[in-house]
Amino acid sequence: MINFPPGFIMIIGALLIPFLPHILRQIYMLVLILISAYALTLGFGLHTKITLMDIEFILFQSDPLTLPFAIIFHVAAVLNVIYGAHVKHWNQHMAIMSYSGAAIAAVHAGDLFTLFVWWEATAITSVFLIFAGKTNKSYGAAFRYLIVQIGSGMFLLAGAILLMSETGNAEFRNFNINSLYGQLIFIAFGIKAAFPLLNGWLQDSYPEASEIGTVALSVFTTKLAIFCFAKSFAGTEILILIGVIMTFFPMFFAIIENDLRRVLTYCLNTQLGFMIVAIGVGTELAINGAVAHAIVHILYKGLLFMGMGAVLYRTRTCKASELGGLFKYMPITAICTIIGAVSLSAFPLFSGFVTKTLILSALGKEGLVFAYFMLLFSSAGVLIYSGIRVPFFAFFANESNIKSKESPLNMIIAMIIASILCILIGILPSYFYEILPYQIQYQPYDFSHVIGQLQLLTFAAFAFICLWHFKIYPPELNSTVLNSDWIYRKMLPGILLPISDLINNINKKIERFFEFIFIFIKKFFANTMIKNKVFDREVGQDTLIVVQLFIILLIFIFVWKIYL
Amino acid sequence: MRYLIEKFGKINTSVLFLCIIFLIFELIGHRHGETSIEDVLFFPAIFGFFSCVTIFVIAIILRSLLMKNEDYYDD
Repeated sequence: MINFPPGFIMIIGALLIPFLPHILRQIYMLVLILISAYALTLGFGLHTKITLMDIEFILFQSDPLTLPFAIIFHVAAVLNVIYGAHVKHWNQHMAIMSYSGAAIAAVHAGDLFTLFVWWEATAITSVFLIFAGKTNKSYGAAFRYLIVQIGSGMFLLAGAILLMSETGNAEFRNFNINSLYGQLIFIAFGIKAAFPLLNGWLQDSYPEASEIGTVALSVFTTKLAIFCFAKSFAGTEILILIGVIMTFFPMFFAIIENDLRRVLTYCLNTQLGFMIVAIGVGTELAINGAVAHAIVHILYKGLLFMGMGAVLYRTRTCKASELGGLFKYMPITAICTIIGAVSLSAFPLFSGFVTKTLILSALGKEGLVFAYFMLLFSSAGVLIYSGIRVPFFAFFANESNIKSKESPLNMIIAMIIASILCILIGILPSYFYEILPYQIQYQPYDFSHVIGQLQLLTFAAFAFICLWHFKIYPPELNSTVLNSDWIYRKMLPGILLPISDLINNINKKIERFFEFIFIFIKKFFANTMIKNKVFDREVGQDTLIVVQLFIILLIFIFVWKIYL
Repeated sequence: MRYLIEKFGKINTSVLFLCIIFLIFELIGHRHGETSIEDVLFFPAIFGFFSCVTIFVIAIILRSLLMKNEDYYDD
């Protein structure tokens, strides 16, 4: 019997979703995820391989790196189903199910062509979640998202074809960045991992999606890219530099951004930077750190997006300038969001702490002092722009006139489960470390780590309080913050539109010129056709016969000269 | 104490106290960092405070450059 890759059943099963009634649909989706997860029990190794047109496609292979990603993707899929249970229409459920299935299947791909298929499938399925935002902005963002994601797939395909032509196979393995195919694949992964200047799509599209769509989006696409980097480019030094830039560059944008879900996407970007740095270091400790951070990041960032999604669902806005004082209406949502924020800020006893210390220790051990301090700098920053700012402006800060109800029960259940997971990982890190790719002994809870981190965070918080109290903190305003998507949304149209206008004008002038010439020729011949001229109707017949004979003679000479 | 709470509020005052407690902890135990610079007394506290201020200063400068009207892209 053929072993279908995990996730595949979710994609196929998603086709039935539109035909099921609401409650049955929710149960059906959970069952699909369970069946998909059952394939993980097959253990490590190559499970399914097919040969088409003399090319081997490895559909299902698993190893110690795929397992942690597969587990967390399944957990996240379950949380997404619970979180979205209040939505009656089938379209988003179908998109989420097939999107998570595609991401899970992609993790188990053993060759680049199979990866390409799932890579594009994640793009095509997830775009419906952005369309589900149902605003003009979300339509535009969805199309831009699709173009960027499909474009990244094209880079991947080009790399795979080059690799195939050079080595005879397109196995998904460790690649050399110095080869052309390696660079193409690197760019493909880099676009999906939101590298600096390639990150515009992330902040552009995620906040425009529906409230349940953003939660799903925050889980899969970028983490799939992190998995691919860990598999193919572990130890590539340039990643350290790129990762460091990623950890601090979006921070400043996050502080001035007003839309809280967009703030979270900037924050997502900085946390991806942590993972990329760790992958660049490439030691066992660092790779464990990257994978561990990806897992806890899915949980706490999912939790934060769930909290903000719930706020959006109840109040129809997610803008810091319009929100505030919601704690008394939505206390459970607020507490869960705070747990997510505390985990994100890496407070001891919460999930972020046990993974960030792993990464920082890996950097310290390798003597990468600059990267180490940049990450420490970012750790202090993350507390401010996301850890404090998001819950503070949504649930506390200034009293707004918005009154609301507590989130729907299903949302609360999903948030509580995610919160419990965040705390459990923080309290019992040794169990969590067991699912990581390399078995290592690491103790995050020692005096130095704990006190160092607590001092860092409390004093960063103290700085925020000072800035707020002495009114140095700038007011929240409804605004748009320019990001790298400005390049293709404003700059390129700004340059290309005048050029295209210029070409159009030249074209029109050339057209008029030729029109003039044609009219001139027409008039000339019209003059020759009047009586007793060469093309006079009666004289013209004879002239035509002479011309035709002459042409036949020319053709005859031409053929004779060439062939004889 | 009451003066502090009245002036700065409960949460702010408790954060201030936490800051002081964690500084005292460092004096009791021996903290060492991944790098030698970190072994300086109260290094994480100083680093945390000034990182935060630096980020704000840069963000406020960038605010004037990057902040546009809400309908900037809709034109």
